[in-house]
Amino acid sequence: MVRALDLKLMRDLWRLRGQVLAIALVLAAATATFVMSRGVHHSLTVTRDAYYARNHFADVFAGLTRAPRSVVSRIAEIPGVRRVEGTLQQYVTIDFPDRVVPVRALLNSIDEKGRNQLNQLTLRRGRLPQAGAPGEAVVDEAFAEANRLAIGSEIDALIYGRKQRLRIVGIGLAPNYIYAIAPGDIIPDNSRFGVLWVGRRALEAATDRTEAINTVSLTLERGASEPDVIRAVDATLAPYGGTGAYGRKDHLSHAFLDNELTQLSAMTRVIPPIFLLVAVFLVYIVLGRLIRTERTQIGLIKAFGYSDWAIGGHYLKFALVVALLAAALGAIAGIWMGGAMTRLYAQYYRFPLLYYRISPSVILSAAVLSFGAAGAGAIGGMRSAVRLTPAVAMSPPPPPSYRAGAIEKLGKAARFSAIGNMIVRHIARWPGRSAITVLGVALSGALLFATMQFIDSSRTMLDSFFFRAQRQDLTVTFTEPRNEDVLFQLSQLPGVLRVEPTRIVAVKIGHGSRVECTAIESAPLDSQLSLRIDRSGAAIALPVSGLMLSRQLADKLVVRAGDHVEVEMLGGRRSRLTMPVVSVVEEFIGERAYAAEATLERIARDAAPVGAALIRIDPAYRYQIMTHLKDMPYVLGITEKTAALKKFEQMIDDNMLTMITFYVAFASAIAVGVVYNSARILYSERAHELATLRVLGYFRSEVGMILLGELALLVVISVPFGCLIGYGMAQLMTAMFSSDLFRLPFAPSRASYGWSVVIVLCAAMATALGVARRVQHLDMVRVLKARE
Amino acid sequence: MHMDGPITGISPQAPAFVATGLCKIYKTGETEVHALRGVDLSIPSGEILVLLGPSGSGKSTLLNIIGGLDRPSSGSLLFGETELTQLDDADLTRFRRAQVGFIFQFYNLLPSLTAEENVRLVTDIAEHPMDPAKALALVGLAERSDHYPAQLSGGEQQRVAVARAIAKQPGVLLCDEPTGALDSGTGIHVLKTLAQANRELGTTVVIITHNAGIAAMAHRVIRFLDGRIARIEVNDQPADPSDIRW
Repeated sequence: MVRALDLKLMRDLWRLRGQVLAIALVLAAATATFVMSRGVHHSLTVTRDAYYARNHFADVFAGLTRAPRSVVSRIAEIPGVRRVEGTLQQYVTIDFPDRVVPVRALLNSIDEKGRNQLNQLTLRRGRLPQAGAPGEAVVDEAFAEANRLAIGSEIDALIYGRKQRLRIVGIGLAPNYIYAIAPGDIIPDNSRFGVLWVGRRALEAATDRTEAINTVSLTLERGASEPDVIRAVDATLAPYGGTGAYGRKDHLSHAFLDNELTQLSAMTRVIPPIFLLVAVFLVYIVLGRLIRTERTQIGLIKAFGYSDWAIGGHYLKFALVVALLAAALGAIAGIWMGGAMTRLYAQYYRFPLLYYRISPSVILSAAVLSFGAAGAGAIGGMRSAVRLTPAVAMSPPPPPSYRAGAIEKLGKAARFSAIGNMIVRHIARWPGRSAITVLGVALSGALLFATMQFIDSSRTMLDSFFFRAQRQDLTVTFTEPRNEDVLFQLSQLPGVLRVEPTRIVAVKIGHGSRVECTAIESAPLDSQLSLRIDRSGAAIALPVSGLMLSRQLADKLVVRAGDHVEVEMLGGRRSRLTMPVVSVVEEFIGERAYAAEATLERIARDAAPVGAALIRIDPAYRYQIMTHLKDMPYVLGITEKTAALKKFEQMIDDNMLTMITFYVAFASAIAVGVVYNSARILYSERAHELATLRVLGYFRSEVGMILLGELALLVVISVPFGCLIGYGMAQLMTAMFSSDLFRLPFAPSRASYGWSVVIVLCAAMATALGVARRVQHLDMVRVLKARE
Repeated sequence: MHMDGPITGISPQAPAFVATGLCKIYKTGETEVHALRGVDLSIPSGEILVLLGPSGSGKSTLLNIIGGLDRPSSGSLLFGETELTQLDDADLTRFRRAQVGFIFQFYNLLPSLTAEENVRLVTDIAEHPMDPAKALALVGLAERSDHYPAQLSGGEQQRVAVARAIAKQPGVLLCDEPTGALDSGTGIHVLKTLAQANRELGTTVVIITHNAGIAAMAHRVIRFLDGRIARIEVNDQPADPSDIRW
């Protein structure tokens, strides 16, 4: 048997179903965002950790020029090292006969008997290369998909200028290439860069490095100090051209994935709280109104002998049912959206199996938040219900008392019409509720703006990187640094308009006790193709001597312009020198140092200043130039700026637009929820007045304007607040979304302000119009019979 | 039928309203309530008419239909030459706006507007309104025009409602228990204003009341019972409201 009070609860909920649903939608948005971001974060983390553990992803990595295999056992003796493995890696060019663009690939040696212990390959199809079958290779899945390679396909690889035919015997993937990216690129292009595994003996033979290695991976003992091990590994590998060992956090694939996880958790921290806050307010005003209209009933129930707690509990239950509904809706939406996000991630991050599993604890936490917010919102209403004494409650509430205050005087001075005065004075009469409406709508606009400006942010970054900083059409990388002759050769190709050298050298830069492994990139002093662009968009000239540091690196080293730093070249001659930091440049992508060509040559001292060539071409000659480049044996790869740009834009479109669609829907839910509840309360409070106006001869449309006018005024007031809050929120979010890899610029466009305002206005006005239609059903006769 | 322009065409002494066979049935769920069961009535222009009868006898329903707030289920109702039962909502609104002044038991003032602004609410949209200040002066509230309803007594609030009703110079004043919530002194003051409007502006006045004493000021008194007119009494010597006592 349902208790009478619970029966009343159910009927109240049904009667106020529109408002209940509107609040539930806002709370559900909080739950959904929370479940989605935490769920995807959790799924990605669990999947990654399981993958790392199962395939023994290493903890420390090091590159070197060349070392005898025996060095592995010396590293194994370093205290704290658990397992070490040395492998060969070689960048090669893959020649697809039907394609003019050379494709780069990274060949990894693999033990033909499957005895690899670290960074193990997971075979999707096929088998490992067999000993004694030098032409066999396993290809990574993304590359195989993008280039339609299957078991049995054959490709030609140019290794040291020698063409070698490789037969695909397996398709697989490995934990060190979850995010497979070509050196110098910022986004994976699976059709132009891939990872291959070939038998150790075969690669040794092809690269003339019998019993040699050029990479080392190792895992650490539990509790071992990573910095100590890295120092010891560096010392061991120094004679072999070691380029500096680094931990997982500097491992490219790991860092990109980590960056994504950081952004997801930032999202969890920023966005759900906004929805929760709005939901608290909504529950507060709706319950407050319910209790005001039910004064007499409350008095009666208390007079029957129900305790204060029973009454308080009754209204708390109202809020909790809303929370329950929201938690259910939000969980379903969040799980669904999380699935969509995960599928999106799976395009960029390659896992053997991306488990998308929402743990019950995520749903539980989301439900707790939802219940907490609803409960917090209910406290005010409960208190006033508990405080009402039966005698007071059963007498009618005091009439709304309007007095000549500041607003009234203002209305008089501005010569408002009677209706104008009604609108303005009602707002002033309920300042708290008006403020909540304004704040709610403002938060909705702010959230929209903060989300949409990510597109501006990415576009600004893109523009700075691809158009202002990089002015070349092609970047040609060589198998190893070359002298200036190559520039002359390239400049002779028909259609080449300009050629400039550039080189990137791995270095350690130290300042005081701080040391960072990074790189110095060189360019000619008069370079036209590669510029250092500040956040403001201005080009900053390279120092004639000394270094220019990116802000990120300067901050890590605590260096200012004018300070001196210790530079140690990793690999090569391992020269060490002290150099002045001449300037610091604020950049969006990566962190490194820059130097003039001559400055870098003083460090490298190998008369090979051309690590890569930047080329500007006449687009009409693209095909011929590409064909020529493809035939040059020392050309390793070609990066076309337009292709990279297109990839980046596609990622923004896929990733950001999906996210933004979610948030536009959610932010609109706030606007709808807030405006709907305000409108319904307004309508119920004013039904009597509106009916009176109808009796006096006002048309429905004119009466509707009183409702709409008040809401419109509140919404308009909220616009500047929304822009202001959005401005702050967007800055916070761009800062939270930034990492070592990217610093998102805060560069909102007017369009983002405009769109967020337009969307909020549309959502708010559509909702208000929906409620204003109720004026059609005003029963003049019934209303006027009743006392107010 | 749509009206072009204001509803006029009533000459003095010509009937303001002619009701023929007015019926009103309210359906609430399964049950039907017959509020009016065939009312035939002619109300001459410039008359003071008092409707008496117990609760539920149909007098309020009639008043609401005459005032264009409600529609009959059947029958005809002419206002001058206009058939009110044929008007759509917008035209009924125009009719109320131009011709009808309402006064209710519970005043129905807008709490957020001062006395003067409550009157202006009507004069803003009327065709030939009087000055709001003049309307308030007519009811003796010129001094209190800047006060909000919450700052006025019940009697004062009702006088503002009267001022609001007469300020548009309506053809007809419809009053539903106008003195129901007032003490006798204040009530008489209100009735005097109604009589004055009738005398000076030629306004037709229809008053619903439970208070048989008020009947003394009417030209005619109609008694309602069970949705029908039970009796019509003609009063050749209407009393001055100041002579009425209850």
